[in-house]
Amino acid sequence: MKKARRTIIYSLLLIVPLTLCNVLYLEKVLASSSTDQAISLQTIIDQLDTGDSVELPPGTYTGPAIIDKKLSIRGNSKVTLLNQSRKPAISILSDGVHLQDIQIKHTASGDDSPAIQVKADQVILENLTIQTSGYGIMVRDADRGILQNNTIKWFKPEADMPKQKGNGIDLYNSHDTQIKNNKITGLRDAIYLEKSRNAWVQKNKLSHTRYGIHCMYIDGSSVIDNEGEYNITGAMVMGVKNVVVSGNSFRKQSQNVHSQGILLYDVQSSSITQNVVEGNRVGIYMEQSSKNLLSNNAVLRNFIGIQLLNSNHNQFRSNEFIANVIEAEATDSEKNEMTGNYWDSFQGLDLNDDGTSDIPYAINPFYQRLVSQTPAYQLFFQSPGMTFLSDMFTNGRDHWSKDPSPLMKSDIYHISSVESKKGSDDVLIIGLFLLCCAISIIIYLGVLRR
Amino acid sequence: MADMIQVARREIKMGFRNPWAYSFLLLFCAFSLSLLVINSQHIVQGYSGVTGSMLNLILYLLPLMTLFLGSFSLTAEKEEGSWQLLSTYPIGTLSFIVGKYIGLSIVLLTIVAFGYGLMGFISGLIGTSFDATTYFLFIVFSCGLVLLFLTLALLVGSLSKNRWQALTVSVSIWFFAVIGWPTILISALGLMPYVWIKPVLVALTFINPAELVRLFVVIKLGGGSILGPEYYQWVQWIQRSSGSWLFTAVCVLWIGFSIIVVYRIWERGRSHG
Repeated sequence: MKKARRTIIYSLLLIVPLTLCNVLYLEKVLASSSTDQAISLQTIIDQLDTGDSVELPPGTYTGPAIIDKKLSIRGNSKVTLLNQSRKPAISILSDGVHLQDIQIKHTASGDDSPAIQVKADQVILENLTIQTSGYGIMVRDADRGILQNNTIKWFKPEADMPKQKGNGIDLYNSHDTQIKNNKITGLRDAIYLEKSRNAWVQKNKLSHTRYGIHCMYIDGSSVIDNEGEYNITGAMVMGVKNVVVSGNSFRKQSQNVHSQGILLYDVQSSSITQNVVEGNRVGIYMEQSSKNLLSNNAVLRNFIGIQLLNSNHNQFRSNEFIANVIEAEATDSEKNEMTGNYWDSFQGLDLNDDGTSDIPYAINPFYQRLVSQTPAYQLFFQSPGMTFLSDMFTNGRDHWSKDPSPLMKSDIYHISSVESKKGSDDVLIIGLFLLCCAISIIIYLGVLRR
Repeated sequence: MADMIQVARREIKMGFRNPWAYSFLLLFCAFSLSLLVINSQHIVQGYSGVTGSMLNLILYLLPLMTLFLGSFSLTAEKEEGSWQLLSTYPIGTLSFIVGKYIGLSIVLLTIVAFGYGLMGFISGLIGTSFDATTYFLFIVFSCGLVLLFLTLALLVGSLSKNRWQALTVSVSIWFFAVIGWPTILISALGLMPYVWIKPVLVALTFINPAELVRLFVVIKLGGGSILGPEYYQWVQWIQRSSGSWLFTAVCVLWIGFSIIVVYRIWERGRSHG
């Protein structure tokens, strides 16, 4: 018996390293064979003339490649471009280049290089699937580009810190660019726009990034119908004028201590309308911004609905604040015009039946002031005692931010993204079980016992 | 051990023959059902306005209920003379105290279970979207409150001479722990050097069961980020399973420590007559 066991152990000791060696060897062979068969994309490009369009046959190609003439290159789901160098997988230096349907794997690690670098105007990139360990698409000094239906992911599966990653789509000094229907996940900033006027960012899906959309100095741009989830901040809009942020939904940005749905910093004369911010740490955060219009936004189930700091002369119209833990906080922001918003925790009184309350809704700044002086007191967030204390400090009420005509009823019924209907069956069963337990304890240990 | 079980069983029997228990049971049920009706429009999941206000309302009711039922049970022993009678039997004071604690916790947890059971059952019937994890966390929250405040109740009951005294002390403890807590702390900590505020605040939170349990549940509901960067590491830690262990350990310490204190008080009273 003992002998048999020993034989098994010895044979195992022998087999395991052998199999490991085998696997490693096979992987090496496969890797070398795949690069052996792979064709350099640059040689194909070199054979083409300006204005040519080519459809790549299925297979694996290698980068880096530089496109310095107007070309149209199309792949399909079986065309893969591998790039292990520290240069961009594809650099586009000529105007009017059109790339589509290519899978790009840009794997040089510890590097800032992008999978695709664009330095020319009117470039179209569509249906590309990019896995990168640096940046995704980097656009520099290139106007009127179109980036659409692309998917950009972080290459390594493990969770790196956002600092170590690159941005998904990164624009600098590139005006009139259209960024539509892209899916970006796991990078630093999904879409980063800097010094780029009139950008059009529409219907992108952004998740697990630092900032879903990060805008700096992009006057006249539009951010429309985008969806963001599980980012640190959904949209960070900073230093802009005349921007439209509309129809976006930002949900579940609540994990980080700095999370927000929409962050507006130094935003002037812009319109923020019809957005849905749900389940974030702060729904809409606004600082040093003025002359903006915020209307018809739905602010749902956030820890703090809206937070205003040093922001004046903005208009807040017909927004809905529902089921937020604290719906609004405002300091040094009393000169805003708030009309007809719906605040669900507010009990109004409508004597003349016009649908709006005759009692104004006022935002108590006590808690926000307290924690800005001593951040340690954030431990008291919405503790019953804190609510009690805030309610006692009502002096200076005339200087609070106020909505003089809050709506009595919510207009729209918002369908929530959370699918927790299935949970109610579990609750029913647990509830029934608890109820039966309680009743039997009461009867057998209490009432019937002598 | 047998004595302890005997005391606990007697306590349960007395507890369910006490009209107070049923009035609190009714109050708690009416209350949880009203919460359900208010929130029938909303999804009850995670940390939101809905769950936040539910937490606060429970925080008002349960500690008060526990303090009353717990402390009255002990003062009744003194007032009705049953402790004097029990003292003549060979029954250990510790068995008596632990038995009392176990019996009272079963009575109170039964009331909580009944309330939540009814709430869960009805919410399941009418199809409110009540997330199972959130429901479970609420039960944990309520049980934690009951178990911790029960130790305070036993202390109050031991130190009070009669029910009136127990009532007065209970209400003041409840007010101090639940409502006055931030006011008192903010004013007291304001006198301290700035760098002391956070450590003292954290230390004091561990001795207030209401805050301790509330913060644990807020963090477990996913609301930890609202406490700000100051508490980032605490929050990260409590969100993992290590946090649950810490919480359980703190509760057990709390219960153990106060049972020892209560035991000392009763033992002294017994030997001094």
